[in-house]
Amino acid sequence: MPTKSFAVAMIDALAYSLKSDPNVVVIGAHSFLSDRGLKPEDERALWDAFPDRLIDPPTSEGVTTSLVTGAAMAGMRPFLNYGTATFAYEAFNQIMSEAANVAAMSNGQLRAPLTLHMYAGIRGGGAAQHSSSPQAMYANAAGIELVLPASPADAQGLLRSAILSSNPTVVITHTKLLAMTGDVPDGDHRVPFGKARIAREGRDVTIVATSLMVREALRAAETLAADGIEAEVVDPRTIVPLDSDAICRSVQKTGRLVTVDEGNALCSIGSEIAALVAERAFDALKGPILRVARPPVPVAFSPPLEAHITPNADKIAAAAKKALA
Amino acid sequence: MALDPRAMLARMLLMRRFEETVIHVARAHKLGRQHLAIGNEAIGAAALTQLRDGDLIYTTHRNHGHMIARGVDPGKALAEILGREGGLCGGKGGTWHMTDPALGFQSTSAMVGGSVGLSVGGAFALKHRKTGGVAVALFGDGALDEGIAYEALNIASLYSLPVLFLCENNSKEGEAQTSRLATKELTAVPAALKIAFASVDGGDVEACHAAVEAALAHVRGGNGPYFLEAQLVRWPGSHQIVHEFTTGETDVSAAWDQAKASNEHAEWQRTDPVLRAARALIARGVLAREDVLTLDAEANARMAAARAFAEASPLPKPDAALAGVFV
Repeated sequence: MPTKSFAVAMIDALAYSLKSDPNVVVIGAHSFLSDRGLKPEDERALWDAFPDRLIDPPTSEGVTTSLVTGAAMAGMRPFLNYGTATFAYEAFNQIMSEAANVAAMSNGQLRAPLTLHMYAGIRGGGAAQHSSSPQAMYANAAGIELVLPASPADAQGLLRSAILSSNPTVVITHTKLLAMTGDVPDGDHRVPFGKARIAREGRDVTIVATSLMVREALRAAETLAADGIEAEVVDPRTIVPLDSDAICRSVQKTGRLVTVDEGNALCSIGSEIAALVAERAFDALKGPILRVARPPVPVAFSPPLEAHITPNADKIAAAAKKALA
Repeated sequence: MALDPRAMLARMLLMRRFEETVIHVARAHKLGRQHLAIGNEAIGAAALTQLRDGDLIYTTHRNHGHMIARGVDPGKALAEILGREGGLCGGKGGTWHMTDPALGFQSTSAMVGGSVGLSVGGAFALKHRKTGGVAVALFGDGALDEGIAYEALNIASLYSLPVLFLCENNSKEGEAQTSRLATKELTAVPAALKIAFASVDGGDVEACHAAVEAALAHVRGGNGPYFLEAQLVRWPGSHQIVHEFTTGETDVSAAWDQAKASNEHAEWQRTDPVLRAARALIARGVLAREDVLTLDAEANARMAAARAFAEASPLPKPDAALAGVFV
């Protein structure tokens, strides 16, 4: 099994997609391919292989989103990379009102198989406009699949599945994950949507985390293990569709739940998972559900201010101990 | 495509009678708001009847006329407006989002400027796949108040995309002013972005036909996008929020009967595209008055059957609301 970085794993998913389907086009190719750890000769080979299908558009997020939506309806499978996730707010209407509604409004006569990719999360020094975690908003769209990969293998496998999906799909990459390395299965690896990954097994407390927070939850689990607490870390991988069974199964085993979400705590992914467990696995709970998330404030620039509001392994471990108290 | 004057008038009459039926049906069934295309018949019929299989159409909240002009089943369209199971979208889209992909219609956006944005995506796909088809964006002048329209025009020009931007300018100073642009000339916008353009009297069906023919020839010829502004006369019943049936049902004999054409709506009857088309054809001896009455009776009969179909169509089963979000 080859070892590669998260960024290169995603580029490999794109390369498999481009090679296998002439209807795949990449809009916003430069910021996805360049300076992402690919060998220069490999990057050049990609540009040379697909001169008409790797495109750098104008800085017009609205119309590039309309473009991929219109092109998807007309038979293509476009991939659009926005760069930083806040840039996609320029296209919020096109995502939420156009792409998300194509299938439903037409009663299934039309579909929009497109993939929208963005870099999100508290990256360090990004301040308020380059540190967003918009995942809960996309989960709320009704009509958008939402993918949050947390490892190189899942980055490749989930992105490949996103491009193969017949639905509009938002893939959010935490900027701090790009350099993460890991084993990725050989060849055209695919990971199905709606199947959670048990990142670590444990009996005492369930920690449900997404994206970069899976790494922090695993670090927290190491700390907790030193104190004799065995945490089970569940990574849903996709929020839409959500593997609610896997989450509830884990809580039925452990009786405790901590959710971790780098996004604003208010109406967050963590809130949804807490509500799900309260509805479906209440009898299994031995204590209150706790959420670790960003307080509902814009992300400040200065390092101590940023650190104060950013969820991390220590905060997760503290929450797990509180849940067990 | 050669203009068939009789068929064109027949299509315009069906468009008019469709919208008048919508007014009656909306009252009878206490429906909410619809955006009617009364007054848009000439450009609608001239444009949509010249499209081919494989062309892609992007329309707006004011889409009824485009549907009927293209040949969509009026019964299914009316059923959709009524939210019925037999509607074009099974009641999921309603008046705002009617579509008929078999005839080239794609997702119908009620977001102002939405159709302009989506159309360049269709054009991109048509060009990439070398199908020879064209995309047509139908939109009002109000779309040019929106940023998405400028982004779309720019990228269409930049990539030389096969798209016809057809702007139905129905703005009128005062209450019915639907766009607020710093320029009075809408075509200054495509001009600035190096897009070929023209303006046409949107109430003159023959002029519209010729203008669309030239525009489509430009786009089909691989010359990039084209912007056609159809300057419409706004129907007096059309207001920003609701419509009022102030002019009453169209009496086609007003095309020749001076007594009927001299009421308080004389100005409308002079400029009404349907009456203008009938008047011109009679004056040139292409059609007799009786022919016009016959075509109108046919349109009325079709709409009576369409209404019967739509009203007989059941409401959708409630759990259909949960289906079809994902493929």
